[in-house]
Amino acid sequence: MSALTLTLRALPPHSVDVSPLIPDRLAGLNKAAVENIVLGSLGLQVADLFAVNGDDAQQMIIRNSSDRLTHIGSGMTQGAITVEGGCGAYAGIGMRGGRIIVTGTAGPFAGSGMTAGGLEIRGDAGDFLGGALPGNKQGMRGGIIAVHGNAGDRAADRMRRGLILIAGDVGAYCGSRMLAGTILVSGSVGMMPGFALKRGTLLLARQPSELLATFQDNGEHALLFLELLDRELRRQNERFARFLPLGNSVRRYCGDLANGGTGEILVLI
Amino acid sequence: MIINGVAIDDTFAEAFGMRATRILITALDLKWAYHAARAATGFATSVIGCGCEAGIECELSADESPDGRPGVTVLLFAVSSKELAKQVERRVGQCVLTAPTSAVFSGIEGEPINLGKNLRFFGDGYQNSKVIGGRRYWRIPVMDGEFLCEETTGMVRAVGGGNVLVLARGTAEALAACEAAIAAMSKVRGAIMPFPGGVVRSGSKVGSKYKALTASTNDAYCPTLRGAVKSELSPDVGAVLEIVIDGLTESDVRNAMRAGIAAACKVGSAGGVLRISAGNYGGKLGQFHFRLHEIVK
Repeated sequence: MSALTLTLRALPPHSVDVSPLIPDRLAGLNKAAVENIVLGSLGLQVADLFAVNGDDAQQMIIRNSSDRLTHIGSGMTQGAITVEGGCGAYAGIGMRGGRIIVTGTAGPFAGSGMTAGGLEIRGDAGDFLGGALPGNKQGMRGGIIAVHGNAGDRAADRMRRGLILIAGDVGAYCGSRMLAGTILVSGSVGMMPGFALKRGTLLLARQPSELLATFQDNGEHALLFLELLDRELRRQNERFARFLPLGNSVRRYCGDLANGGTGEILVLI
Repeated sequence: MIINGVAIDDTFAEAFGMRATRILITALDLKWAYHAARAATGFATSVIGCGCEAGIECELSADESPDGRPGVTVLLFAVSSKELAKQVERRVGQCVLTAPTSAVFSGIEGEPINLGKNLRFFGDGYQNSKVIGGRRYWRIPVMDGEFLCEETTGMVRAVGGGNVLVLARGTAEALAACEAAIAAMSKVRGAIMPFPGGVVRSGSKVGSKYKALTASTNDAYCPTLRGAVKSELSPDVGAVLEIVIDGLTESDVRNAMRAGIAAACKVGSAGGVLRISAGNYGGKLGQFHFRLHEIVK
């Protein structure tokens, strides 16, 4: 068996919701059945957009991908999707397992509402990475998102559980309204990190240029859970090597005191 | 059967099904891990009066432990899942949470029972949880920083009450043989010897002349009752000591018994060891029978 490969023939004229193209849905389908799947509300079929090759739906590849392909891997529970190139909004939204690798840049709301599995973005991520959709009470609820590049504003907005790793810089309001979970930023953070943070951890490699007045300095601490996190990342895969070692010595700021104050910003020492 | 002058009785140890768990206790250094573990396994010699039987299984190096610090593993055994859960929570709460620098983790897969799930409320709302690698940990603020504990530990079916009786010319000889046996048995993973120093002198029989008691002294093995009761002791036996073994599996108990008997026999008749025997209830009460001759074969 060879990986089920969908090669984008040409740039679509508008955004296309490709959420049906997940291993769960394509498993056991022959080439003709895959080609006949309707995408979006305008009646486009897979064959209109993609050249289909291979038959192993557990190892899918989307070639020549574009930011006009949205909802890649939406709700998937198993298998792997490798996106060669960038992708549009909502990559990995609501995913419940499996793994997505985007070799390029991902649009906004990547990993929103995901509950398990792994989303790896080797380029940059847009705004609301792992964040909540408008009107939703929670963003990411489990799993791991790893971004090799930068992330936009409002990363981890209303995040409930899980781990977000960002190797580069992140925009404003990182961890805004976060409910729980952990976000690690190896680069710099924009203005107002942890705005309205309820619980959860912002783990920063660099001291933010300024913190909200509603965060209080707790002093320097050695926190044991960081050792567990470090070991878990080491155990999982060398993919996370760029984020290691974490160390466990941090300066801790508790907050947002305007929202309960049980969250924390940890700055690695 | 005679080994090094020591007679091995053609009998068997009778053991029972129990529920057990393994927890890992780590600390800044081994000394403080032992302080916590010894407290948590204190007053845990027999389910008859202690609620559970517990002991330190082995040491963990920094490389082996979940948090990169040295520690020890502890096994706890109880007669029911409910009692085990109660004992684990109570002992960890009073003896591990309280010990400086300590942390506690599950050391075995099985049906989950609470470890830190309820202890977290000690944090009075300031506790935080982290899910790492699919396991939930609680961070409870305490005066030396944070107490880190896993939410649950695994409970498994286990074997309790394996035993070896060492019959010797006198107390000193019996004790020396038991110390050698315990040293060897302590190396067996998955088994503990819950009594003080691993050795018990007050072996018991089922029942008593007093209605309130369910167990009483094992008169057949008491040297001072020879002649007064139907004794199992020949005239040259001056003291009997027992080693009780609890194991996660039947094979753990068997391996520990084998190691212990071999070590006691190595002391031999020259060291005053005369017989090795085992305690049973006629084979009608316990599911597990450990025949001595099969074990030492």
